[in-house]
Amino acid sequence: MVHMYLIPQWFFGYDVLLELLFAFVTLLVAIYAFKVYKLSGENQPLLFGVSFIFISASYMAQSFLNFMIVSELNRDICNAMKLANIDTLNALGIYFHTFFFISGLLFLVYMTLKTKCAKTFSLMFILAYALLWFASNTFYTFYFLSSVLLTYILIHYLVAFVRKKQKRTLLVLVAFAFLLFGSIHFIFSINHSLFYALGHMLGLVAYILILINLIIVINK
Amino acid sequence: MGAKRDRLQVIKDILNAIKDKNGRIKPTHILYKANLSHQMMNEYLKELIEKGFITEENTKKGKTYSLTNKGFDYLSKYNLMVDFVDSFGLG
Repeated sequence: MVHMYLIPQWFFGYDVLLELLFAFVTLLVAIYAFKVYKLSGENQPLLFGVSFIFISASYMAQSFLNFMIVSELNRDICNAMKLANIDTLNALGIYFHTFFFISGLLFLVYMTLKTKCAKTFSLMFILAYALLWFASNTFYTFYFLSSVLLTYILIHYLVAFVRKKQKRTLLVLVAFAFLLFGSIHFIFSINHSLFYALGHMLGLVAYILILINLIIVINK
Repeated sequence: MGAKRDRLQVIKDILNAIKDKNGRIKPTHILYKANLSHQMMNEYLKELIEKGFITEENTKKGKTYSLTNKGFDYLSKYNLMVDFVDSFGLG
């Protein structure tokens, strides 16, 4: 069963561009995190990099899917891939997006736990994927699960900011707060199309803050 | 008493201690220069060898540790690493 969300017509195409931008920013962060991992050999930058690679891939999948819809290329794609109908293509796109995004968030949450327990790692992933797979409404479950994971990440950054009082940790904290609010907005977008646009706008603010933080680090 | 050092800082202190001795040092010098207990020093040295930051050599005069290129890289880019780790809450 495929669940769709309402997109305001005036927003057609802008969502594709925004998702591409999000994919680019998260990819940059991932590349830099891997650089730091290569220099330091520490696990946390590695997990951070892996999480952002997954998140970047999720936005690329979402951007591609939305581009197909906007450009009406989906019929040609269905024929080329021998898919029964457009719903199957949409479902594939949605599943790629949800799988990659949740994987990214799970890696981030695992990183915040500061543990090397393989059991914890596997339990988190198995439960999350099982929840998504067996959910009767994947859409709501995905955004609900994203919101829960983002809340845990937000708490981690709140604690980090309170402990070290660094302004740039505050930037990242606020960025994740915007991502959390955006995720909550997407939950309502199935009935109110404006929330879809608002969710993207909140995401834009979040990734601009993350990009500013990264630029400050690189330029130092 | 100074503030507690984090892991990256301790590694930097050890590598700096080796660098200050022209890239080669005896374990006891690391102990004093990096201000570590014997057990902590051994743990860190084992990790640094595994990660390729230093190499261990057994000579007639005893064990010595040398800095590798990766170790030099760590020192030269330490501030950048710490900045990224601190600002993205990875510490």
